[in-house]
Amino acid sequence: MSYFFDLVVVGLSLGMVYALVAIGISLIYAGLDVVHFAHGEIYMLGAFIGLVIFNKFHLPLPLVLVGSMVLTGLVGVFIERVFYRRVLKGGGGYTVAGMAMVICGFGMSIVLQNVAFLIWGPRALPFPVSYGMPVELGSITLPASYVWIVIAALVLMAGLHLFLKKTRLGLAVRAVAGNKEIASLMGINVPLTISVIFGIACALGAAAGVLVGPINYVQVQMGIGVLIKAFAAAVIGGFGSLPGAVLGGLMVGVTESLGAGYLSGSYKDIYAFFLLIAVLMVRPAGMFGVIAKVKA
Amino acid sequence: MLKTIDVVGGYGKVQILNGVTLEVARGQIVALLGGNGTGKSTMLKAISGLIKPWNGSIEFEGERIDGMRPDRIVRRGLVQVTQGKEAYPGMTVEENLLLGAHVRTERAVRARGLERVYAYFPILKERRRQLSGILSGGQLQMLCVGRGLMSEPKMMLLDEPSAALAPQVVFDIFRAIARICRDGMTLLLVEQNVRMALLLAQYGYVIKDGVIHIEGPSEQMINDDAVRLSYLGGTVADRERKLSL
Repeated sequence: MSYFFDLVVVGLSLGMVYALVAIGISLIYAGLDVVHFAHGEIYMLGAFIGLVIFNKFHLPLPLVLVGSMVLTGLVGVFIERVFYRRVLKGGGGYTVAGMAMVICGFGMSIVLQNVAFLIWGPRALPFPVSYGMPVELGSITLPASYVWIVIAALVLMAGLHLFLKKTRLGLAVRAVAGNKEIASLMGINVPLTISVIFGIACALGAAAGVLVGPINYVQVQMGIGVLIKAFAAAVIGGFGSLPGAVLGGLMVGVTESLGAGYLSGSYKDIYAFFLLIAVLMVRPAGMFGVIAKVKA
Repeated sequence: MLKTIDVVGGYGKVQILNGVTLEVARGQIVALLGGNGTGKSTMLKAISGLIKPWNGSIEFEGERIDGMRPDRIVRRGLVQVTQGKEAYPGMTVEENLLLGAHVRTERAVRARGLERVYAYFPILKERRRQLSGILSGGQLQMLCVGRGLMSEPKMMLLDEPSAALAPQVVFDIFRAIARICRDGMTLLLVEQNVRMALLLAQYGYVIKDGVIHIEGPSEQMINDDAVRLSYLGGTVADRERKLSL
């Protein structure tokens, strides 16, 4: 029983990481009408930036996390302003520009990987931060890292929720995600709000990277696997829905962990997709999705 | 207050406005009338900044606003009230209203705006915590008018407040709009419902094929055979109703 419980906790913490990346993908989809295929590389970049901050200044992990989120968020805003905005002038979704944006995302993914390769090299680097002593929960003992990941992710999600529900800017973000033309008639600066959305999405991706860094190594190739699972998580939850992204992330994480524990660890990467297929057979729009919106 | 001169524009390569000239003085209610596909909505979009006019000029309080971004125009105090169906269905009534006050950051102004809107439309206060997606058509229209008021604009552009509403509901909405104007609002009212619009407005323009076809004081237009025959459907508007507005 405690083996099962262990697997669930590991799955949940892994799921939280997927959920953070999936929230970013969903936010960008809701706000910009495009699927961002370079988000895995944003996650990778976040982990590297966190590692650099940690090695240079020896700050405690929460500060490293915040620092990496801010810097990666700014990188995201830069990417959106300089590259994506030009492509998206013609609109997103199933327009020609929307399709061009998909290609642009793939291109950005390759560019970011190579930039990281040039700066940090091909080796997997250790992120030698200590999460502290294992935490005892009743009869079982858990590595502290898993508990901290869950706590940090929950705090970030709660913060995002409060931002979207309670602040003037958060309301503007929701309005822009709903309808840009109406939002502009409300006096909202839509291009600026889109940059904010992109920055937040990238900051959340970076947070995921920094949280995972100490468990795994930090390396240039780390983005692609997480991107695909986060993508599955977003689709399972219903593309564009933030609660859906969280639920989807947790489902993917737990499924993967249980599958690896009871069936076979060598196939661990495919369980997420079994789950994806099963969910889409029952609910084609995902758990919280609406099928009416058609976007690319 | 608002003055457009020879505005030419359209979408893509399709020219819809072929030189529209109109003027709204401070404190006035002006109606812009026309059927489907005559260019009145396009004109509205040109004024509120959603499309950029190809030629001509639009001035608000003596300054050019044509080609300006919509949010900058809102900040100058010229707000377009959307049709009721364009409220955000996933937000509560109050969130929709607060969205209208986006350009006003002061807490006091936002609270004052809410109070003012709830005074005009008490039903919105009752339903303020509900999602706007479940409101009736008339309530949605009230919500959008209220949302327009929230930034305390100097002038409002109304996009067919009578669209898809029952006659009695239209009457309620127009009565509220009349009250808002009595409190000092300048209004450009874009309407298909010619009779109601002329009862409310002091001056009217009829747009057809992207140009102003007929214009004049509304009293005169109500009696004008040309207007009546082409837009009023033959019967004379009952002038008694004006008294109750």
